[in-house]
Amino acid sequence: MSMERIPISLEVNGHAVTAEISPVTRLSSVLRDNFGLTGTKLGCDAGDCGACTVLVDGEAVCACLVPAAEAGGKHVRTVEGLSNGALSALQSSFLRHGAAQCGICTPGFLVAASALLEDNPSPDEQAVMDALGGVLCRCTGYRKIIKAVMDAGMPPCRRVLATTRPLSAPRPSASTGCRKCLAPTGSAPMNGPKTRSASPWSDRRTGMPSSLR
Amino acid sequence: VFGARASWTDILRHDLPPAFDALKLAAREVGSIQIQNRGTIAGNLCNASPAADGVPPLMVLDAQVELASATGTRLLPLSDFILGNRQTARRPDELLVALRVPRASTEGASHFLKLGARRYLVISIAMVATRIALDEDGRIAEAAISVGACSAVAQRLRRLETALIGRQQGADALDAVSDCTFDELTPIDDVRASAAYRRRAAAEITRRALAATSDALTRAGGTGARAAA
Repeated sequence: MSMERIPISLEVNGHAVTAEISPVTRLSSVLRDNFGLTGTKLGCDAGDCGACTVLVDGEAVCACLVPAAEAGGKHVRTVEGLSNGALSALQSSFLRHGAAQCGICTPGFLVAASALLEDNPSPDEQAVMDALGGVLCRCTGYRKIIKAVMDAGMPPCRRVLATTRPLSAPRPSASTGCRKCLAPTGSAPMNGPKTRSASPWSDRRTGMPSSLR
Repeated sequence: VFGARASWTDILRHDLPPAFDALKLAAREVGSIQIQNRGTIAGNLCNASPAADGVPPLMVLDAQVELASATGTRLLPLSDFILGNRQTARRPDELLVALRVPRASTEGASHFLKLGARRYLVISIAMVATRIALDEDGRIAEAAISVGACSAVAQRLRRLETALIGRQQGADALDAVSDCTFDELTPIDDVRASAAYRRRAAAEITRRALAATSDALTRAGGTGARAAA
């Protein structure tokens, strides 16, 4: 569309930025093409897939449906803004659960989930599904993603054991601890040395006791 | 009064009387949270999709649209505003600036049900909004039922509404649904469902929505608290 270019100023991931754009350019394009933030993915350009989910003033929106001019003066947070040098608790949880396959939906899920966790640090399964319903994944089947979000706010002793317990099972209470944190003396450690537990593959490599599979 | 730029999230967060519960339930099912944060009630109406989730809940509230142009403003009942698939009575020089709900239509309790292939990001196969208000004896004094996605424009089921007046909640009211032939509906066969399936689905979700409305009225204390809008 031929339209005069206008200057816009906004804050992206805590940094003040400016661009000169046609006012009808999609925010998703400006983030990627003007600011080089290619973590925001483009899927459908129609609000149907959620891959381009970003936070505008804290609210999850599809960046493809936001004219960039409308983002002027606002605070935009992209997937790049979720980590601060190290992975966030949410990102670590995705890694631990293997909650990504091809990866194009992952930034959208991370941003949508971070909006939820900001309001509700320990959401139930329904709340997680409500928050993630706007992002489509065609690889993983969602279960690992849902578990990863539910676990993100949990201390290690309250995390869902990724492969051994259905989501519907009650969580171990904080007072009784769990098999991971308070395993009886003499039993085999669940995931081998602590330092390896961050790997999403550690469960398979260390060979958990078959009774726990 | 809803301003035209009220988003679905705005509606969800606003404290509204029980007659607006159907609208809130619809607001939770429009697209996804990302869409609810951006999408507006006026956009939903001007787009005039037969499957627009906002239309049935607003029809049972007898909503009117306010259209403004350089020459003045006019009010139209919602059913006179949406004329057909993607067609509205809005002139090119007009903007939809607000929605008005008459106070008389804010009595009782309401419910909304949407049938789709999945919960989110889905175009409705059929949907229904119901609003019921009771008289002092606990009989149905006012019934408003609107079905969407089963005709070019969502419709009020006037014959069923008339049949419900004076009945007791519960089995008596649900009998009226069983007797209803849903003749007003003209569902189509398409990729999402067959016409026959849509007709049966509309009957079933109407029955369920009426039951849920009755439950809400019972919880509220029988006669449906008068709305304080």
